[in-house]
Amino acid sequence: MIRNVSKLLSKTKNIGTQTKQNNQQDLKPQDFLYHDFDQNVETFRSIYVNCFDVMFRSFLLYGKTRALVIYIVGLSNTNGIEDFVLYPFMKETANEEQSFHKLLENQMPVSMVKRINTFTECIQSIATGYPILLCEGENDAFSLGLCKWEKRGIEEPAAEGGIRGSREGFNESLGINTSLIRRIIKSPALKMQPMRIGEYTETAVVLAYIEGLADKGLIEEISNRLKRIKIDGILESEYIEEMIEDNSYSPFPQILSTERPDIACANLLEGRAVILVDGTPFSLVAPISFFSLIQSHEDYYQRPLMGTLIRWLRYFFLGISLLLPSLYIAILTFHQEMVPAALLLSMAASREAVPFPAIVEALIMEISFEALREAGVRLPKQIGSAVSIVGALVIGQAAVQAGLVSAPMVIVVAITGIASFMIPRYAAGMAIRMLRFPIMLFAGTLGLLGIMMSIIAIAIHLCSMRSFGEPYLSPLAPLKFRELKDVLWKSPLWMMDTRPHFTGESNTHRQSPGLAPSPKQGGDQSE
Amino acid sequence: MEKGKISSLQMAIMMYPTIVATAILGVPSITAMYAKNDLWLSPILASFIGILTVYIAYKLHKHFPNQTVIQFSEQIMGRLVGKILGFLYLAFYIPVTGGIIRGYGEFIVDSFLVKTPISVVMASMVLLCAFAVLGGLEVLARVAQLFLPAFTIPLIILIFLLSPDFEFKNLFPMFEDGIMPSIKGAIAPSGYFTEFFLMIFLLPFLTDGKKGLKYGMMTVFAVMMTLVVVNLIVFLVLGESTISKVYPLMNVSRSISVGNFFENLESITMAVWILGAFIKISVFYYAAALGTAQWLNLSDYRPVIWPIGILLVEFSFWSFPSGMELGRYDLVNFPFQGLMMQTLIPMLLLVISVVSKRLVKKSKTS
Repeated sequence: MIRNVSKLLSKTKNIGTQTKQNNQQDLKPQDFLYHDFDQNVETFRSIYVNCFDVMFRSFLLYGKTRALVIYIVGLSNTNGIEDFVLYPFMKETANEEQSFHKLLENQMPVSMVKRINTFTECIQSIATGYPILLCEGENDAFSLGLCKWEKRGIEEPAAEGGIRGSREGFNESLGINTSLIRRIIKSPALKMQPMRIGEYTETAVVLAYIEGLADKGLIEEISNRLKRIKIDGILESEYIEEMIEDNSYSPFPQILSTERPDIACANLLEGRAVILVDGTPFSLVAPISFFSLIQSHEDYYQRPLMGTLIRWLRYFFLGISLLLPSLYIAILTFHQEMVPAALLLSMAASREAVPFPAIVEALIMEISFEALREAGVRLPKQIGSAVSIVGALVIGQAAVQAGLVSAPMVIVVAITGIASFMIPRYAAGMAIRMLRFPIMLFAGTLGLLGIMMSIIAIAIHLCSMRSFGEPYLSPLAPLKFRELKDVLWKSPLWMMDTRPHFTGESNTHRQSPGLAPSPKQGGDQSE
Repeated sequence: MEKGKISSLQMAIMMYPTIVATAILGVPSITAMYAKNDLWLSPILASFIGILTVYIAYKLHKHFPNQTVIQFSEQIMGRLVGKILGFLYLAFYIPVTGGIIRGYGEFIVDSFLVKTPISVVMASMVLLCAFAVLGGLEVLARVAQLFLPAFTIPLIILIFLLSPDFEFKNLFPMFEDGIMPSIKGAIAPSGYFTEFFLMIFLLPFLTDGKKGLKYGMMTVFAVMMTLVVVNLIVFLVLGESTISKVYPLMNVSRSISVGNFFENLESITMAVWILGAFIKISVFYYAAALGTAQWLNLSDYRPVIWPIGILLVEFSFWSFPSGMELGRYDLVNFPFQGLMMQTLIPMLLLVISVVSKRLVKKSKTS
């Protein structure tokens, strides 16, 4: 018996690698439940030996037949088990003519009941919170839809706020996340492929896409990459991101993570795929281009002119965040002639007492700013204010007064810091932050030439990257004139009647053309 | 060999900086030397060579759609002569690329980073170009596409900012000595226009090959216009003194002043020009690498990229003892060498292949 059980255990670990070694195994090529109730109970007890949180509740069906409910405390609805399973079966008297199946249908007021017949399925069902019911004389077990565990409510997304737009964010429960998407996209063309990843965590992962919009090859590719993952556990969607992305050593994220259902749905409608992972509010969107990372959902929730302006402001500050300290270093060290005389004099005066060359000064300030920022992220809220005070006073004022750092440098660092917060996607901002430092070094050694070299190097890297086959800089390079309407400027919604080229090839039109508001509009219909 | 595909627009976008980048630096003073105030006519005359070269390249491409000059010269001339001709092309393009890199290095070191060793400037550029070429033709085309606006828009802004300094009387009297000076002035720019033959290395990888000729001609026109405009603004601002300047465009951008705040912008001009030089060197580098691999019958050109990169840096030193010598080469030698290798020999190849095809047809029908 024990040997058999250990076989079973190893089998549940390595699903799919079955060995036929002893006789009993030959009788049961898969780990089907036994015909014998006692044997089943015994097996389950040995599987769950030393599992304090697994409850076995045995009772007699109508005082005659032995039955057993197995569930995990805290994952299953205990009240439900009492009211809908134990109470009706223990109270009613037996009606000999009714078959067990009939009984289940008539006596047990539970909406979801599933018949399962293998140990693997039983274990999975118990682990997900569905209690199983075993009865004497039945070959199958019943998985009851009585799960209930503590979860966070739907809250405002913490990392992606906004002024206008839905305030709902994903949370850690997969069921809630899929329902949030389904509430927005009601068409049955929205498909959700479930899969389980992680040998021990068995994390539920859902690949969502809209049939007819998403490219079939793309969906196949993503699901193949997902299926290839063999890992002990998935704790966050980043685990999956790193396993399926194209280029691991790039600083730029090739998969978008979002905790907003509206962003996920907007991407679904553009023919992309969304990967939802149980246990994290961050869903993944693939494929994306660089421009998906520097666009915000609010661009679409405000007037097109404002959207365009704010987009340009963002592009400009993206450049500032990447280059401003380097430009400062390069101009001060190599190209002083570019600075107008008056400004140069005042800058020279403020730098008079500073003992360091510009590059060292900039590195000191930038690194301490990054440290401040990193310290602030993980600190408890009560101490957070202390860090900002210390940072502002020591790094800002005291350093200048002590003559360690010049005042213009503090301004440069501050503007750079603000600029890096302008990038809506945290991961993209991180990439820019990281790249700033090598560019500063090149600017300190080769001046403007070094900066141009770094820009060229970054451009080559971005141009050679792909996210699931989509060129990373599309639609700018390779150029797609029709799609610039959503990149260089934001056209009014009625002009955006085509989907992005790469992702929306199978169904190019988003809306009927000629939706431009005009006085004629109403009259045409009535005639 | 090359799995990437580009569109003919992308080819045009790659070719434009490839010709213009170095041409806008030196051409104004060279043409001014001969043509004086009629220097705007010279690029127009020189562009006829460009049109001829593009036409020959396209016709050759029509005859041998999937091959570059290294491959089809073997088919036209036979294996041995073809191989020799292929070697001649490599022996032309690799030193020429080295010369371009040297020109780039001399310019940077002369004007901006006086204390930096020229080898650092050149080797770092070759390294970057090697990365671009390693990425393949598609990456090269995308980078060119990305940089084209960054290269052309500042040029347009430059024209606007310079407009207060224009002295239109510099241009008159026109054609004082007839048209001959302009024709003499056209010789040096025509050397740049022969570089359009590089298209032969890109044409086999076009998705829409039929538009190749149209876009090639458009590029010639765009380059011609750019050179005319650059020549004009330089001469309008500097007048006769254009002749004595090595990089007149830089001198011109030094005279910009906007609101007494933005002054001395030649560093910006340099920064922008680097983008063009990068594309130019990359395209030449790519042609050299692809050609070498085809000449050696390799299955991929990527293994030869690093060795050729080292060769390029070496040739940039070997080819010219000094920057002066390089200037003389560009002025005196290259227009004829370029014309020979990139227009006349291809024309010969085209004639031979057309005639031999006719002969084959005749012998079949008779």
